[in-house]
Amino acid sequence: MKKQDQRQLFERIIEQHKGILFKVARAYCPDDEDRQDLIQEMMIQIWQSIHKYNDQYKISTWLYRVSLNVAISFYRKSSTRAKKFTELNDQKAEALVNDKSEKEKHLIILEQFISELKEIDKALMLLYLEDKSHTEIAEIIGISVSNVGTKIGRIKGQLRTRFSQFKS
Amino acid sequence: MHELELKQLWQSTNEKLEENFVIHKKNTEDLTQVKVQSLLGSMKPIKIFALLVGFLWVGIGGYALSSIYLNSFAEANKFFLFSASIQVGLTAVALYVYVYQLIRIYGVDVTDPIIKTQEILSNLKMSTLWVTRILFLQLPVWTTFWWNETMLTDWTLFQWILPVTVTALFTYASIWLFMNIKYENRNEKWFQLLFNGIEWAPLMKSLELLEQVEEYKEQNTIN
Repeated sequence: MKKQDQRQLFERIIEQHKGILFKVARAYCPDDEDRQDLIQEMMIQIWQSIHKYNDQYKISTWLYRVSLNVAISFYRKSSTRAKKFTELNDQKAEALVNDKSEKEKHLIILEQFISELKEIDKALMLLYLEDKSHTEIAEIIGISVSNVGTKIGRIKGQLRTRFSQFKS
Repeated sequence: MHELELKQLWQSTNEKLEENFVIHKKNTEDLTQVKVQSLLGSMKPIKIFALLVGFLWVGIGGYALSSIYLNSFAEANKFFLFSASIQVGLTAVALYVYVYQLIRIYGVDVTDPIIKTQEILSNLKMSTLWVTRILFLQLPVWTTFWWNETMLTDWTLFQWILPVTVTALFTYASIWLFMNIKYENRNEKWFQLLFNGIEWAPLMKSLELLEQVEEYKEQNTIN
């Protein structure tokens, strides 16, 4: 691929799929400033890897791989900050849940649940909530389709418990 | 809450937030002008400094020791010479492992599936454990470099007790640490105490990630 074509492809990918970068960054990086750095890093990695893209995979599959890999590696470096966030999030969630609408309460519980998940489980949950097929999730994560089903089933079970605890 | 409702809630919230998320075309264009960052360019200055000191230590040490071996071996204090040789040799091996790890991490393909990329990255990060193990092996030679040949002839058994005990303890500790600093012992209290601190956080995080990767791979074989 020529440099000019790479440039056009890169600009098109960012323009059309920037939502993927945003969603992944939001799930892995709670701090606004750090999130900007993470998105910047994702874009750099996408640009530097653009020559490896081939149409064997959907653009979204390829983009999820890069952005999730960058986010997990970024998270690895800033795990201390992430831990602090989880603690803060606990307090915030408790305070917020009391005076919100039912939908908002559910969203807070869901977001807190996601923030507590382990890195790879978090990626799986994110893709599941984005309604990706099990086949596409398997291609992104690099596991078998049946394993995707098993893992998602387990995480959903944990989420159900969380919701029932909230109700009771 | 129903599964479908949950997905809709998640997606509609993200859509609302995404409306305010703008990437200016100028920023995207600017990024395409950025040259691929070199390995050195991607490293933190403190790591470059540490590497430089390491190379200087091994280089100057290696040069000095070689000239002693070649020109004045007979007159040299053998305790110092062999202790220093072991120290410089082990530092060189540790340096090699560290540089190899940096080069491999730099070359990791982020377009591969998550499990594959994270397994490679975590394993490479874990090679930091090898660097630590090798550096711990140096412990005993720091207790013997000041010994000299006159000690062998002039010292009494009583005088030897303290230095020999210290060296024996250091040797035991270094071999024990060399044998036991490994992934399998990551949950031991002494291990977590040894690798406690912000500078070790990425390593500990890699250990956790590797556990997750193994869990996923194990499940893959069951299904």
